[in-house]
Amino acid sequence: MTEDSQRNFRSVYYEKVGFRGVEEKKSLEILLKDDRLDIEKLCTFSQRFPLPSMYRALVWKVLLGILPPHHESHAQVMLYRKEQYCDVLHALKVVRCVTEATPQVEVYLHMYQLESGKLPRSPSFPLEPEDEVFLAIAKAVEEMVEDSVDCYWIIRCFVNQLNNKYRESLPQLPKAFEQYLNLEDSRLLSHLKTCSALSKLPYDLWFKRCFAGCLPESSLQRVWDKVVSGSCKILVFVAVEILLTFKIKVMALNSAEKITKFLENIPQDSSDAIVSKAIDLWHKHCGTPVHSA
Amino acid sequence: MAQQANIGELVSMLDSPVLSVRDDVTAVFKENLNSDRGPMLVNTLVDYYLETSSQPVLHILTTLQEPHDKHLLDKMNDCVGRAASRLPALSLLGHVIRLQPPWKHKLSQAPLLPSLLKCLKVDTDVIVLTTGVLVLITMLPMIPQSGKQHLHDFFDIFGRLSSWCLKKPGHVTEIYLVHLHASVYALFHRLYGMYPCNFVSFLRSHYSMKENLDTFEEVVRPMMEHVRIHPELVTGSKDHELDPRRWKRLETHDVVIECAKISLDPTEASYEDGDSVSPQVSAHFPHRAADVAASPYVDTQNSCGSATSTPYSSSRLTLLNTPGQPPQTLSPPSTRLLAEPPQATLWSPSMVCGMTTPPTSPGNVPPDLSHPYSKVFGTTGGKGTPLGTPATSPPPAPLCHPDDYVHPSVLQATATPPRKEERTDSARPCLHRQHHLPNDRGLEELPGSKGSVTLSDLPGFLGDLASEEDSVEKDKEEAAISKELSEITTADAELLVPRGGFDSPFYRDSLPGCPRKTHSAASVAHGTSVNPEPLNSSLDKLGPDAPKQAFTPIDLPCGGTSESPAGNRERQASLETNILTPSPCKIPPQRGVGLGSGQPPPYEHLFEVALPKTAHHFVGKKTKELLKKAKGNAEEDHAPSTSPVEILDRLIQQGADAHSKELNRLSLPSKSVDWTHFGGSPPSDEIRTLRNQLLLLHNQLLYERFKRQQHALRNRRLLRRVTRAAALEEHNAAMKDQLKLQEKDIQTWKVSLQKEQARNSQLQEQRDAMVTQLHSQIRQLQHDREEFYNQSQELQTKLEDCRNMIAELRLELKKANSKVCHTELLLSQVSQKLSNSESVQQQMEFLNRQLLVLGEVNELYLEQLQNKHSDTTEEVEMMKAAYRKELEKNRSHVLQQNQRLDTSQKRILELESHLAKKDHLLLEQKKYLEDVKLQARGQLQAAESRYEAQKRISQVFELEILDLYGRLEKDSLLKKLEEENAEAAEAAEERLACCKDGCSDSVTGRWETTTGEPATSIPTTVGSLPSSKSFLGRKARELFRNKSESQCDEDSVTISSLSETLKTEPGQDPGAEGKAPPSLDRPHPSPPTPDSVGQLHIMDYNETHHEHS
Repeated sequence: MTEDSQRNFRSVYYEKVGFRGVEEKKSLEILLKDDRLDIEKLCTFSQRFPLPSMYRALVWKVLLGILPPHHESHAQVMLYRKEQYCDVLHALKVVRCVTEATPQVEVYLHMYQLESGKLPRSPSFPLEPEDEVFLAIAKAVEEMVEDSVDCYWIIRCFVNQLNNKYRESLPQLPKAFEQYLNLEDSRLLSHLKTCSALSKLPYDLWFKRCFAGCLPESSLQRVWDKVVSGSCKILVFVAVEILLTFKIKVMALNSAEKITKFLENIPQDSSDAIVSKAIDLWHKHCGTPVHSA
Repeated sequence: MAQQANIGELVSMLDSPVLSVRDDVTAVFKENLNSDRGPMLVNTLVDYYLETSSQPVLHILTTLQEPHDKHLLDKMNDCVGRAASRLPALSLLGHVIRLQPPWKHKLSQAPLLPSLLKCLKVDTDVIVLTTGVLVLITMLPMIPQSGKQHLHDFFDIFGRLSSWCLKKPGHVTEIYLVHLHASVYALFHRLYGMYPCNFVSFLRSHYSMKENLDTFEEVVRPMMEHVRIHPELVTGSKDHELDPRRWKRLETHDVVIECAKISLDPTEASYEDGDSVSPQVSAHFPHRAADVAASPYVDTQNSCGSATSTPYSSSRLTLLNTPGQPPQTLSPPSTRLLAEPPQATLWSPSMVCGMTTPPTSPGNVPPDLSHPYSKVFGTTGGKGTPLGTPATSPPPAPLCHPDDYVHPSVLQATATPPRKEERTDSARPCLHRQHHLPNDRGLEELPGSKGSVTLSDLPGFLGDLASEEDSVEKDKEEAAISKELSEITTADAELLVPRGGFDSPFYRDSLPGCPRKTHSAASVAHGTSVNPEPLNSSLDKLGPDAPKQAFTPIDLPCGGTSESPAGNRERQASLETNILTPSPCKIPPQRGVGLGSGQPPPYEHLFEVALPKTAHHFVGKKTKELLKKAKGNAEEDHAPSTSPVEILDRLIQQGADAHSKELNRLSLPSKSVDWTHFGGSPPSDEIRTLRNQLLLLHNQLLYERFKRQQHALRNRRLLRRVTRAAALEEHNAAMKDQLKLQEKDIQTWKVSLQKEQARNSQLQEQRDAMVTQLHSQIRQLQHDREEFYNQSQELQTKLEDCRNMIAELRLELKKANSKVCHTELLLSQVSQKLSNSESVQQQMEFLNRQLLVLGEVNELYLEQLQNKHSDTTEEVEMMKAAYRKELEKNRSHVLQQNQRLDTSQKRILELESHLAKKDHLLLEQKKYLEDVKLQARGQLQAAESRYEAQKRISQVFELEILDLYGRLEKDSLLKKLEEENAEAAEAAEERLACCKDGCSDSVTGRWETTTGEPATSIPTTVGSLPSSKSFLGRKARELFRNKSESQCDEDSVTISSLSETLKTEPGQDPGAEGKAPPSLDRPHPSPPTPDSVGQLHIMDYNETHHEHS
């Protein structure tokens, strides 16, 4: 294989001594060098390894379909996207739906609403739950991506993916969560059951918002790498890992309300570890993805 | 401090003479000890005891319970450390230990033991040493395991003290040394008994040194003569001796007895389990007897033996003359009887001991008094078996013999005394006591007056001393003895029977001891040569007294008193001797058993019957003792060694003798005699030595008492074993009975078996006969059968022959048949051939005719052919040439064709490669196209999304615009309404309603509503203009005109119908539809339902408006 010959011969040992992600960047570059990008390979890569942050936006855009697989058309398509963004923004300004003072995330929301034809007539129209989800995700993405056009498009496509691709699988996640928690720590599960907190856990926060607002963006984007590349099951393992990490505190709490409240506001400091452990757990239970569609 | 004082008071109150006070205080102390765990109280008590040696305190201290033992031991350890309090502390320790407190095992760990050992090693006071050694000896069997640490200390002490005995360092008095020697002797026994291997090795190493050789020769060696070889020396080892396992199963008294077993010293040794060897027994016989006589202090049991002080001389005489006696006295019908008499003479102590204490011998009984009895016995003896069984009769007889020789007339009298005297004794024991005292005393006095105290006198002195020291106990014993005596008398009638029963085992016992006779005889002979004179003299002198004593007790007191007025103190010994004199052979055993077990006589008899073996042992022992004693006494002077204990005994005896002598001498004149007369030494010193001696004696006594207790323990256990053995024997007897019964059963069964066997044989015979008969029948039948068999065999062969014949015939038949068939076939063939040949002949004729015809034809043709043969050859050649040419032509043609084929094939190949290239190209093109398509699609998608967005934008814009329009129109309409208010209300109303519909529609609905209902929105926009020209306006007007009175609900229907009309006539109003087309083209026209709702709302508005206007 030509790829192998180009790679560093030490790469085999890097993993053994615990340096992960040294070689990933190079292999990702090799992948990105292809004209007509292989979406499947990119998916597999992003599921198996953490994405280098400098390529994250690009990979996401490709995976979410914002950019076509051909390098040639990138510029033109990007131009289209930008124009579209400007047009929509302009239109909103024209109808005075947004002003200069409107916060960026709300602008994104109105743009999304406009594009999906759900723009409310008056700005005081109350927000629906899906709008809340959008706002949370938008807030998270805004932190991750600088360019507002990219930002808008990533939000839009991410939300669309959640609404279309994961429409069926998202409601199944709580059950999967229960199952894996039982495998990992049945005592904790029984504690939750006795507190009748199992049904009151913040599933919306975890699965609908994909932990937006729950985890800091630096760790969140590693989770979203997996979500974007087509696996929403990682969310379950993040949730399980959160419970395992804060097991002692959760065990100490006896009422469902307190548990829910605690889980909605978990401490941020250990999030990186949680995510790493969750990814390990995910790999352990679902196997390392080889070539999954 | 107050408490201390209080305790001091209490302690002093302990000695108060009032008994109740003493008891109360004792109880208080015990309570205190139970509640208080501190050492203070114990210490006080010990101090007090050391000061005053008060008995109640001693009692409290010896019964101390567990927690206080440590304090007590500590305190005693202190006291032993101090020289001043050492002696009382040691004696206290001795008291405590002898009671064997439950915590005795702690002694081995207590610091007291080392300090005691140290004291024994360094102290120079003989009294302390003697006391300490006795304490140590007492303690040793209790803590056998501690030997390991202290073994060498023990040995050192032994070495030191044994050398002391010889060297006599300092100013030690000889008398003390005797005590010390005795205790060292006891220590020797204990050490040798407990640790033989170690001890022997110590002796070997210690006395191999030259400076110790003297000690060994003088002190240790004599001691060694009193011990047997310890079996452990053979089987054991040094380590095995110290093994705790060895000691674990031995109790204290076991250890004591173990030690006693190996001793040959009569005072120390104990024989049980019958393990003593017969020669040894015989050797000890006389010695033992004498010993018993000489040491009454041991106990009553032994003192019984002392009673045998009687006829030593007589016995000696008998012994000398026994061989000739039997024929004289007895006419024995059996050999057994013959054999028995000498044995009887052998053991009877009366003859053996007479030598030592001649005075009270029944041998001196006057002939006249004994006559009646002698007659009785003489007759019995003459008859041989007058008293029933020969086993019971002998006892009197043998007894007679010895005496018989001395005083022929008294022969039987000596035998009778036992019974008679018993009766008399029991009748008046007190009297006896009293009147015997003088007797004995008198006897003793005689030798004493001569200036030398004979050994035989020692027991008396000793007994005195002992009685002095604990008179209480003696009194008790005395009481017990008297009681027993009375019992014996009351049970006199029964006693006769047990005696017989007792005697028989006794005699049985003496049987194996036959060889003894010679020994004893020799020893006695020896003894006679030594001291015949005193004995004889005493005999002569005291002879007259004896009869009185035995048979006229009433007279005796006078004689006794006259002779020895101050006989009070000798009462004890004399009493005992008195009691036992008559028949030592019979009473001692009874007595010993009775005292030992404390059982009443009736039981005794049962006991002896049930346990002949123990009795036998006991008697054996007894006789042994007696003999031994006698021998010991006889050989005293030139015996190689004398037991230190004996020496002590003698010393004591001597002392007592001297004492009594002095007393006798001095008591009558005055009690206040100058003490210097006694020893010549100043009294204080004398008193001190005496006191010390007293103390030493006390210690010795206590030690002996301890030993006795151990023996008693042992006895109890042995008794238990004995009863168990008896039970087992009973069981055995029962089993034997059963066995007999079963044997009887077996006999009966055997008889019946024989009967059955006879019947069986009869039946057998019958059966045999039957069988032979049947056999003959069977033979006959078999014969018949064989005949029949032969017949059938013959028939069978015949049958076989017939069958063969039939088979042959059949075969012939078959052959014949086949022949016939064959001939028939041949016939038919021949006939056919015949017919064929006929037809062939016919044909041949026909063919011959044809041949003829054809031959003619052939000739004809041949003629024709010869005519036509010339012109055919040219034509053929021409044709050949033509053919040839034609062939060549064709060949060239083929060549040409081949060439063409080649070229075309090449061409085809070329074209095919082209085709492949083209295909490849095409594929690439397609791929590229695909790629491009994809790319284009991507772009297109982006563009499309952009377009979508644009569309949405425009929709939003439209919505906005429409919104604005709606507002505008509403404003203008309101103005117009105000203006035209006065004009025709109906028209205005209609128009208003119409306009309102449109306006409200556009205003209220969201984007969908407006696009979904373009028809309605259009009329509103148009309707606002001059409406008469517009088609919609007209239509609407018409409609409203028609249905002005209809209900408002129907409006929705009209509107929808309106839209339909609009659709059907799109071209009729191009102006009005300027804005409509995009909305009409919309792919998803929204549903009309929200409209109708909005209209309903509007209608309501209209109605309210109507009412207002």
